Amino acid sequence: MLVLTGIAVITGSAASLAALALLELVSILNTIFLVAPKSRVQWENTPGLVAAATVLVPTVGGLLVGLIHRHLSPAGRPLAPPDVIEAVQFHKPLPDLRSGLISTATAALSLGAGASVGQYGPMVYLGAIFGNFAHRLRLGVPEIASIAISCGVAAAISTAFNAPIAGVLFAHEVVLRHYATRAFAPVTVASVTGYVIANVVFERPALFLVDFQGVEHGYEFALVAVLGLCVALAAIAFMRLLLELGPWLTRHIKRPELRTASAGLAVGLTALALPDVLGIGTSTLRFATIDGAFGLPEVIVLILTKIVLTALCIGAGFSGGAFSPSLLIGSLIGVFFWTLLSSVSGIPSSGAAIYAISGMMAFASAVIGAPLTCILIVFELTRNYDVTIAAMVAVVFSSLLSHRIFGRSLFDVQLSRRGIDFSLGRDHAHLAALKVADYLQPDVVTAAAADTPENVTARLHQKGWREAFVLDPAGRLLGVYTPGGPDGHGRVDGDSHPAKLIFHDDTDLAEAMERLRGFVGDAVPVISRDGGYYLGAVSEADLVSAWLDEAARLRKEENASV
Amino acid sequence: MRLCNVLLLCSLFALPAAAEDLTIVSWGGAYEAAQREAVIAPFVEETGHDVTVDVYDGTWTALAEHGADQGWDVIDMLDDQARVACGRGLLLELDPRSLFTSDALADFTPSGPTRCSVPQNAYARVMAFDDRAFPGIKPTSIEDFFDTERFPGPRAVQRSPDGILEWALLAEGVPPEQVYGLLSTDRGLKLAFRRLDSIRDDIIWWQDPAEPAAMLADGRAAMAAGFNGRFFDMAHHRGAPIDIVWDGRIIGIEVWVIAASSDAPEAARAFVAHASRPDSMARLATRIPYGPTRRSAFDRIALNPATGAPMRTYLPNAPQHGGRSLLQDSTWYANTEDLRLRRFRAWLNEDG
Repeated sequence: MLVLTGIAVITGSAASLAALALLELVSILNTIFLVAPKSRVQWENTPGLVAAATVLVPTVGGLLVGLIHRHLSPAGRPLAPPDVIEAVQFHKPLPDLRSGLISTATAALSLGAGASVGQYGPMVYLGAIFGNFAHRLRLGVPEIASIAISCGVAAAISTAFNAPIAGVLFAHEVVLRHYATRAFAPVTVASVTGYVIANVVFERPALFLVDFQGVEHGYEFALVAVLGLCVALAAIAFMRLLLELGPWLTRHIKRPELRTASAGLAVGLTALALPDVLGIGTSTLRFATIDGAFGLPEVIVLILTKIVLTALCIGAGFSGGAFSPSLLIGSLIGVFFWTLLSSVSGIPSSGAAIYAISGMMAFASAVIGAPLTCILIVFELTRNYDVTIAAMVAVVFSSLLSHRIFGRSLFDVQLSRRGIDFSLGRDHAHLAALKVADYLQPDVVTAAAADTPENVTARLHQKGWREAFVLDPAGRLLGVYTPGGPDGHGRVDGDSHPAKLIFHDDTDLAEAMERLRGFVGDAVPVISRDGGYYLGAVSEADLVSAWLDEAARLRKEENASV
Repeated sequence: MRLCNVLLLCSLFALPAAAEDLTIVSWGGAYEAAQREAVIAPFVEETGHDVTVDVYDGTWTALAEHGADQGWDVIDMLDDQARVACGRGLLLELDPRSLFTSDALADFTPSGPTRCSVPQNAYARVMAFDDRAFPGIKPTSIEDFFDTERFPGPRAVQRSPDGILEWALLAEGVPPEQVYGLLSTDRGLKLAFRRLDSIRDDIIWWQDPAEPAAMLADGRAAMAAGFNGRFFDMAHHRGAPIDIVWDGRIIGIEVWVIAASSDAPEAARAFVAHASRPDSMARLATRIPYGPTRRSAFDRIALNPATGAPMRTYLPNAPQHGGRSLLQDSTWYANTEDLRLRRFRAWLNEDG
């Protein structure tokens, strides 16, 4: 227990300080590079300089990010929450430290240069890096690495939003995906540590404070539910676009640094007319909560450009997350919805802020697949019960729709494209990660086509099997020989019958268990997918034990106390 | 423009061997009188230096033009002007670590000494109202300044974008730490002017900082934007029924600096160190409601020697004031002056 608490406090502090340092660095870069409105306006007397910086900074930033990834990072790409989820779920170490640090550095550069990406993904990854150090310590605590990584993640979120409860939930909902006490306790400690450092030691202001009078009309809860559904559609479009743009850009622009540079150029050119698209957009987020800060045409243009530019920047390989752009896009959709409601249809409402916040969290929840976290973030940021309930309604409706149509989250869909499918739950994903080819029986009986039935029957008898696999001279599976069949004129190939069930080298345990339903026999042959070469056979009993072992391991992990 | 007051405050005391001539430049008026009593006289008494006090208009250009030939040593400056002067090499670098212990450096609030300057007091732009105009419910927040339905009556506002734009955004619910960030965008300025539109017909403009207090006193205005010291003066020394609303106060910092051309740098440093002691700051604050810039000085602030008013209540940066406060961003102010003026004039000309 002491070990876990110690690890939680150390990881939490380190992750929190690192997250604050990252934010501070980004803010300094934004000031130097004239990305932040406050620094741009101070050079307002030299408009040429501001315009040049607007176009050149994201372009050159993109070029550098691409070059750094290509030449210095072993992973060759930015690392993100899906890498953390994969490591934690399969008890693997994170990708190498060097790639991780470079990914963090390029995230600072991307955000600093005003690319339309978010800071929370890199903060989560940075937190995970600190947790990953525990992987190297031999402390005799089971699953220490994944718990420590989750601690880092929780502390990063807690620091970022001044929201310790949301930090705990995020780590469990998105990363760990279970609520074992052994993990819950240290993650909570780490999250609170992050909160203390951000709030008490450094007195960081919250992301936004809203002075809110309450929801005035009962029907507004129904309206935010409708808003949640609209936001979900936009979020699905955004995520599909993001996933399509990456491969499309790779096909059309061969050099990775030119991909990021051109995405940067697109951001810069757009920002000449619409400076709101630059960077994290903290001021735009604030404007969204002020009644009438945006006109209707303006907010439509801003929503569309922000969706396209964010998908472009992330797809092109800028280092950064989709979460904070999601907050911004969602809040603008909320504003759009409110404007339609109040000025076009004239329905009385309690003001733009409630719709902005509901839209913001509904969009973010669909993207990161963490409805509870999003609801808690609202609660901890606003400390307002009414706003939280309204946002909660929007969040669940949005999650419902996007989960049905798209998938649980952007992260999960990205992972499933790497062959890790969480859509049927954590246990299915774990079973799917185990390959039947790893459970081959060493002493299964094989026979050449020309062997005599007597010889093979004797060998079967000796080894205690009832079936032998008949192979051609090249090693391809011809069939299965079972003694006592029709006479084959002295050759087993004449007596053999085609195998009822065949596994391939890439068949996983989940699929194998499903296909074993109704199978009678003692072993299933495994052949290579190209060429059909016989690799060996797995016994039904071995597969069942492997399945039971994995289920027991998961159960133990999910129910572990300290 | 140049007014020169020469005082030999210490001719009756035995002069130590190292006594030097020191020229301190300040703003004149009641402020300077308070400084002489609270800060300069005790320094002279303790060290025996000869101190001459000059008056200037507060700009860094005055320092550049007259500083060297008039032998200025220590100058009382606004923080933003001092930053510009420091950048132009007009000021002596102070090395705060040699002037103050690390405990003392940590005692400064809201921020410590910089390369060229030591914070000495805090003043504020505040909203005040004529108590007679609101016999029932009194205004308590910046929102009330823009609410002419609940609090009708003329508003006295400086004919300048300074301060009022910040208030307009605060009244929109923008937290103080984001005000300058949002005012840096076109959208933010538009929102601020939209808020200002809501009181356009009720504004009476002032240019001289003495006017707003007078306007409240003689009933020309029901509410006014102005400097806390002036309102205090009108209320306490002339008995006007004026009350200050501390919500939304915009705090500016006054600093001590030493001219690069000073011929008595050691005596000047000794003065700055002496003037920055908590007891010196507290003595100044008991005479004029400009708050100390060291936390420990707040505990020493007594009653005003003339009126007996408990001065701690009237300091702009007193810790007991609730509500929102905004620290004026000096650099931003200096660099956006043209833009703000341009937008402000355009707004003035819109339909009036």
